[in-house]
Amino acid sequence: MMKIRTFGAVAALALALTTGAFAAEPIKIGLSGPFTGGSSSMGVSMRDGVKLAVEEVNKAGGVLGRPLQLIERDDEAKNELGAQIAQELINKEKVVATLGFINTGVALAAQRFYQEAEIPVINNVATGTVITNQFKKPDYDTNYVFRTSAYDSIQAGMMAEEAVKGRGYKKIAILADSTNYGQLGREDLEKALEKLGVKPVAVEKFNIKDVDMTAQLLRAKEAGAEALLCYGIGPELAQIANGRAKLGWNVPMITSWPSSMQSFIDIAGANGNGVMMPQTFIEDKTLPKRAAFLEAYYKTFGVTKIPTPVAGAQGYDSVLLLAAAIKQAGSTDGPAIRAALEDLKEKVEGVVTTYEKPFSETDHNAISANIPVFGMVKDGKIVYARGEDAKNSGVVRKKEKATN
Amino acid sequence: MDWISTLLQAPTTSIFWQLVASGVAVGMIYATIAFGYQLTFATSKTLNFGQGEALMLGAMLGLTLLPYLGYWLMLPVILIFGMAQGAVVERLGVRPAIETKSEFGWIMATIALGIIFRNMAENIWGRDDLKFPSPLPETAIELGTVRILPAEIMVVVGALLMMAAVETFNRRSIYGKAFVATSNDIDAAGLMGIDTRRVITMSYAMSSMTAAFAGVLVAPVTLTGATMGAVLALKAFAVAIIGGLDSALGAIVGGILLGVIETLTGYYVSTGYKDVPGLILVLIVLAIRPAGLFGRRTIKKV
Repeated sequence: MMKIRTFGAVAALALALTTGAFAAEPIKIGLSGPFTGGSSSMGVSMRDGVKLAVEEVNKAGGVLGRPLQLIERDDEAKNELGAQIAQELINKEKVVATLGFINTGVALAAQRFYQEAEIPVINNVATGTVITNQFKKPDYDTNYVFRTSAYDSIQAGMMAEEAVKGRGYKKIAILADSTNYGQLGREDLEKALEKLGVKPVAVEKFNIKDVDMTAQLLRAKEAGAEALLCYGIGPELAQIANGRAKLGWNVPMITSWPSSMQSFIDIAGANGNGVMMPQTFIEDKTLPKRAAFLEAYYKTFGVTKIPTPVAGAQGYDSVLLLAAAIKQAGSTDGPAIRAALEDLKEKVEGVVTTYEKPFSETDHNAISANIPVFGMVKDGKIVYARGEDAKNSGVVRKKEKATN
Repeated sequence: MDWISTLLQAPTTSIFWQLVASGVAVGMIYATIAFGYQLTFATSKTLNFGQGEALMLGAMLGLTLLPYLGYWLMLPVILIFGMAQGAVVERLGVRPAIETKSEFGWIMATIALGIIFRNMAENIWGRDDLKFPSPLPETAIELGTVRILPAEIMVVVGALLMMAAVETFNRRSIYGKAFVATSNDIDAAGLMGIDTRRVITMSYAMSSMTAAFAGVLVAPVTLTGATMGAVLALKAFAVAIIGGLDSALGAIVGGILLGVIETLTGYYVSTGYKDVPGLILVLIVLAIRPAGLFGRRTIKKV
């Protein structure tokens, strides 16, 4: 009799242990980004940042007593593939939320499936201003799309301010690639310049894979441009930096954030030095939280530099925000997580910033205009462009009141 | 029409010549690929739509071998690799189509092989654009008021040397004569005891060899990556149509013409319309001289 009772107790204990600690059903989180292809340095950095955060959350006991499990999919920066992956993650994998999207086009093609399925999606890299506005109130009752990156109109505003106010240039040329990303960015730049009372002296276009930028640069030069504002991605921005050096025209170049990509640094080499771009995160160990993140990243992935630091940091933070929201919601139910994100009570200490109420019902962007700083390419690394930012690197820049 | 007056005054300024210089460099990149189209078209009236991929494979393999062999030892390896790759394309894609007298089979087959090569390259080397270190200094040199990169000069000189070498081979060597004979009249050449099948295989091998060499040559100027060949091959196709599909001189003239028109349009009209005049030129040439500026006009009896 005794034996049976002991056996029963042991069995019950074992059962409790397995369900409690070991066999707790994992919480599935989708992860979509380009891990191969032209934007893969952003995608891979983002993925690795996400993985690092998931590992940390799981080590600390997971969320709601359950571990987080990532379901990774390579969207190859292709819109149609991104849409397929969204359906697979929602219908087959039954994820509770998805993180990712490097490319604005992929985000726009994929996130409507999440919206329909009422599953939150946090964009941690894509910057198109329209992304968080696609399902905005009042056209939609609820919006399931959130973002932890600095959207284009913030970046364009910073670029214009730096050129006009910061450095006092009045003659400005815009060079933008012919993709959606480049042309939407160009519009944002023109608007931002107009606010400052400046009309660009030249607005030029280039195509992805263009070999020669001579015509664009000479037009800007002959129009008397004192500074170049460029919207594009790493390889073509590097061709502009190289073309500028070829013409012996030492004009300041301020670009959108992708000049922090490894491909820009590699292809432009010494010609890239001094190029400035908005950054939400610089590899800097002043703050203990950032130092711990960087050391863990370098150690885990065997690198001495994050290929695209901004993507890695924003990816890392997106996991922490999602975990906090699931915890607050007390369930993995989509609408409950969305509601928790919109009213996040916990203060989340990330590496980009410390998030206090990062989102609200009407504002789904965690990054406001005061958070990004200017980074600058210097000998193969991105450093603070301004002395005062470097000096203040120990101060966390927190979000201002709703900006979008 | 103020851009016309700017255009007329322009030659006196340095800008015009700067644009021409850059246009020539870009144009010669197109010409090297168009030259490869021309080699196989001459013998077999077929062409390799995977020519851009042959160029890419040369550049990517060159980049991989560079640290082990150095620049000059890497070149012969690339040339041999290019020949082998071309022969494979001919055997797998073109010969079956020729033997079954299929009019269009080779088009699909060479496109398919090109896609396979590109996917292979993506799996081996990833899909990032990489930097190809130039063996020459990377600072521009000044010729008068025109600034040009040593690597751009190398493209022009290297491409001309390569074409001259192939042309000399064709005119002087016995194999080359078989080559020319087959281009002139494949049936007559066959009756004269020339193994025309082997000549066609050879022409594909040579065509891909020039493409692989061109890849190494242009890589320091363009970006190096699995998709580098796609846009270039398309432009080269336009060049081949403008210059004539069976003329080496046509490839050079067509290439320079297209490259210079692109940069001049970009500057004097708008960078947004850079690619348009080149395509208009293709349409004009097709309407007036369908065989191309330097192509042989053939009369097909039906």
